This record gives sequence, C-alpha cells and structure tokens, in this order.
Amino acid sequence: MRQPIDMQSSTALAIASGCGIAAAWYYLSKTVLLGPSAQVAPAFGAIALAATVPTLIMSKTAGNRSKTARSSMVQRLDAFEKHVCINIVDAAGNLTEVNEKLLELTGYDRSDLIGQPAALLYNDIDSEVAADIRANLHSGQSWEGETPLRRKDGREIFTQSTIMPLFDSAGKYVGSITARTDVSRTNELISERQTAKTLYELRDEIWIIDADTEEFSYLNRTAESRFDTSRGDYLDRSVGGLNKSEGTAEILAACRALVADGKSTSRFETVLMGSPVDVSIKFLTDAETSGRYLILISDISERVEQEKQKSSFISTVSHELRSPLTSIKGAMGLLLSKSAGELPDKATSLLEIAHRNADRLILIINDILDLDKMANGDIEIAMQSVDLSELVKEADQANAMLQQRYGVQVELTGTENPFPFNTDPNRLLQVLNNLISNAYKFSKPGGKIYLDVEDEGAWVRVSVTDEGQGIPHDETHKIFNRFSDMSNSDRASKGGTGLGLNICKAIVENMGGTIGFESTEGVGTKFFFCLPKAPKGSSGIEAPAARQSA
Amino acid sequence: MIKILHVEDDADIREIALMSLELSGEFDVLQCSSGQEAVAKAAAFAPDVFLLDMMMPGMTGRETLDNMRKDAQLGNVPAIFMTARAQHSEIEELFNNGAAEVIPKPFDPMALPEQIKLAMKKSA
Repeated sequence: MRQPIDMQSSTALAIASGCGIAAAWYYLSKTVLLGPSAQVAPAFGAIALAATVPTLIMSKTAGNRSKTARSSMVQRLDAFEKHVCINIVDAAGNLTEVNEKLLELTGYDRSDLIGQPAALLYNDIDSEVAADIRANLHSGQSWEGETPLRRKDGREIFTQSTIMPLFDSAGKYVGSITARTDVSRTNELISERQTAKTLYELRDEIWIIDADTEEFSYLNRTAESRFDTSRGDYLDRSVGGLNKSEGTAEILAACRALVADGKSTSRFETVLMGSPVDVSIKFLTDAETSGRYLILISDISERVEQEKQKSSFISTVSHELRSPLTSIKGAMGLLLSKSAGELPDKATSLLEIAHRNADRLILIINDILDLDKMANGDIEIAMQSVDLSELVKEADQANAMLQQRYGVQVELTGTENPFPFNTDPNRLLQVLNNLISNAYKFSKPGGKIYLDVEDEGAWVRVSVTDEGQGIPHDETHKIFNRFSDMSNSDRASKGGTGLGLNICKAIVENMGGTIGFESTEGVGTKFFFCLPKAPKGSSGIEAPAARQSA
Repeated sequence: MIKILHVEDDADIREIALMSLELSGEFDVLQCSSGQEAVAKAAAFAPDVFLLDMMMPGMTGRETLDNMRKDAQLGNVPAIFMTARAQHSEIEELFNNGAAEVIPKPFDPMALPEQIKLAMKKSA
C-alpha cells in the first residue's frame, strides 16, 4: 500500500536526497580534489548539502516558499534527479518507486522493476554487506557504502549508495529508500591513478621517450633519481641533454635499431652510469604520434655480483681439485712407468683403470671451468689466421692413437689444399677433438670416419661422420644438453664427460657459427659446424640453420 | 747435471716431482716449500733453472721469481711455472712476465724432465 507511506516517503526522500547528494559530493571531491582543499572541502560541502537539500525539498512540499524560491528549489531538484538514482522498496523488499536516472542507468523500463524484488538490481552482493544493510535499516539507521548494480544487459555498475529506513506513523518499518550515484568512472580514475602511482613508485626504472624527438615524456621516481631531475625539468628534453647521460647513448641506439629492424621489443644488458642493468624496450605506436619507446631498466648489480661470487667459487674449487689430482695422477703415472719397480699384472690393470679415471676427472674439471666461463660470457676467443686444412689434419693426428684402439679408419676430404681461415685455432681444435673422439667412441670396429671441409662461399662447413649406432630418434633433442646420456651411449665406459657437445655448441656459436647433426639409427651420425669466413658480426650474412635430424 | 730449484708448497707434489727428476738422472734438485725459503736459498744454490708453483700462500710463484731476480746473478735464470690455473689469458700473462714455459697441473711426471730441458733450450 503506497498511501500510508506517501508523507513519510516524501520526508525520507528529502533527507535521503540530501544525504545522497552530500555523500556523492564527499566521495567525488575526495577523488578529484588535490592539495589542502582535499582535506576540508569534501567534509564541509557534504555537511552543507546534507543540511540544505532536505529543507529545500521539504519546503517544496509544504508550498510555503515564494515562487522564486520554489523555482530555484525545483531547478535544484531537477539537477538532483538528473544526478542521483533513487529507488524505494517496501518491507518485503519489492521495488515500489524508481526515478528516471535509475532507469537510464540500468536500462530497465519502469514496468520491469515496479513490484519486482530489489535483488533484481544486484548482481552478487556480498552476503555480509546485505546482512549489514538489513541490520542497519531494521534498527532505524541508514547505511552508506559501495554496491554493485546490475544493468538489464547484465553489465555491472558501481554505485555509492545511501540507504535509509522508512517507518510509518506507528513506527513500524515499512521499507527503505536508496539514493545512489554511479562511481564506475570514478573507480576507473582511481584505478588509473593507483596504477600510475604504483608505476611511479616502482623500484625498476621506467622511461618513456618520444620516438620522433627523442625527448623524455615520462620518468618514474627511480629514473628521476638516476638523472637527478624532476618532472618539470626533464619534460621535452633530449635523452642526452640531462645532467647525467653516461650509457644512455647505447640505449637510444637500441631504440633506433628496433624501429630500423621493424621489431617491437628488445632486451639486453648494458652498463648505465657505472652499474650493470637489464634493459627492456617496447616500441609503442599509435595513430596520432610517431610512437614512443617504453623502456624498463632493472639494476642487476646484485645478480652480477652473485654470479661473480659463484663463478669465483667454481673456479677456486676446480683449481683446488687439480692439486690433489696432480699427486694422484703423478703417483699412478710413476707406478705405471715402473719407476718403483715391477708390478703384478693384476695390479697394473687396476692401476690403469684408476689412472684412466683420474684423466676423466681432470677432463670434467676442465669442462666445468669452460662452461662456467661460457655462462659468464668470458669465453676467450683469440682469432688469428690459420690454415684450416692443417688444423683438421692436426686434430686427426691428435686422435690417431684411437684408430688402433677402436679399429676405425679415417678419411679426409677437402684438406688437400691450404685453406686460409680466420679463427681461434685452440678453440677450434677443442671442437674438432671432441667431435672426432666421439666419432671413434661410437664407431663399430672396422668402420670409417669421414672428415670433410667444404667451402660454402661466405661460410666454411666442417663435418665429422661416423658409421656408428646413430642417435635414437626420440633423444635427438637433448644431444647438446649438459650431462645428457643417450640410451645407447654407455658414456661412463667410453670416458665422456657429458659436457663436450654443450661446450662445442657454445664455442661455435661464440665464433658466430652454427652446429648441428644428422643421424640414422643403425647407420651413423654426421656432426657438422658452419663458421663465417669474415669475423663474427661483420659478415652481414645470415648463418646457415643448424639442422638436427635423425 | 742441471741444477734446478723447485718451489712447491704441496709436499706430495714435491715428492712426485723429485722422484720424476731424480729418475732421469740429469738433475740436481733443491726443493723449497715456500717462496720465502727459495729467496733465502737461491743465491747460494745458483740454479740453472727455476721450477715454480704459481699459487702458494704468502708469496706467489711470480713474486718469488721477482724477488730472486733482484739478485743480478739470478737475473737470467730461466723460469718454468707450474699452475692449476691453466687458462689461456693466465698462461699468456706468465709468458709476458718472463716465463720460459708454463706447465699445467696435473703434470705428467714421466714427461716433466723433457719439458724442462726443452724450455731451457728454447730460452738459451
């Protein structure tokens, strides 16, 4: 029944309207205002509105104001109606009145809502919030807070609401009136502001540079601190034009290269003002501008220091292991050379096993040291002019003693004539020795190994082919992994360290080349590597792809 | 007989090197366990060649050599270093600082006498 609550609701409407406008003012002004005004204006404004609006509304009902005052009041109410959504529900929780603003905001028709449960307007309102609202209303108190409102199309709107209880003349609870304002956009602004604040306070540096002018358009706090600048100071100044710029030229060059190469992201490590940093660049484009570089810079001093310490530890441990191994291997070597007299055959045999494994341990230590250096980018590549044909022959000779042990013959092709080549002979021998000794170890007795050198224009291709058991098809992916064992390799008995191919790959790639293999199980394996004739980085020719097939 | 001053802080390695050099029958060996001891005894021994461990506590092989070479009599004695830090750049540095040879550890005791004679021949 609407009649008994008409007077009550008009009074409540006036009060709720005042509170609604006051709440809306408070909320919005807190969000929008900055500086000292943000401290006082919202509160004073809210109090003023809460006090004056109900009076104005009530005075309209009473009709005891002048026409001018009435006209002013009506205008204000119109403004209020346009700004605030209002709905009234009865004691059963069904909607009895809704204003135009609410219909506009939710997309419903009046007939969709009147007589329907108010729950229709809510998505999943928190049960604790619902209970809190009910408890407040039944005890005669209003409730204020943020509630999500469900539109007819299912979308959710966030509203700041004031809900007031309605009582009849006998003091019986007869329903409630809700005034609410849409704060979705305000929430978005808050979210954007919070995001901006988070980015500003981020420990990593953020730079945004205009791609056209190469001037800064944004620096967060850490970046401002690096450049010893502030927003007013850096805006529209070129990257190199600030107080400090050491190392920025390289970053700017990487930005330009990004655009020149048609790429959108790049990442690299460099030194910026004396500190090692990780730099991530993203090129952002839009229709209005020629683009911006978003640059994220992370200080990696700590990580670099930890890596140095780890590397130093590995190096120290490896070197310390060499001293006792010198004694172990030396003593066994002297015994085997009969320096201490004749030994029984069985003792000699056992000593040979120990001696061989001491050699293996030394190889592992050397490989670990190599890998550690490679991981740190410290691999030493000393390029010089050599005769590649002679180098391949030297590697063949170095492994010649294995011919007898494994009963395998070697055939060389492409080494008949001198082949001038610029490379690091020691590192290349390391790769060749590794591939050749592997070929011996995995060959069948009576088999052949083929060493081929091929001139491929800007590149040279060296291959080592055996007629061994081949690599199982499902294990080819791990062939260059550290300590990877093929199911048919029996690495321990063959004296491998499990690191050789990984090291070969690192060396070849460090020289600007590629490494790969082709294998057929039961037929054999061909390992090959391609190296550029011109020094690394100056060939300008795409490296041949490293194939891996089995 | 070749007079060789061997400086090595590891007693086991000293013993293996001594056995290796004595077995060849061509060396008169004086062994010292530290750089300081070597500096004190070098002049009186008047060696033909130094065999120096690189990494030693107190005084490294290089520091030992520098100190011994302050004596004019020892200024031209060829020096052979033994080192467990057989990295290319480190070996290069030793050669640049007057090493006649650098033998990486672990060394082959049966090859050691020949390696020393070869290094002496090269630096002669």
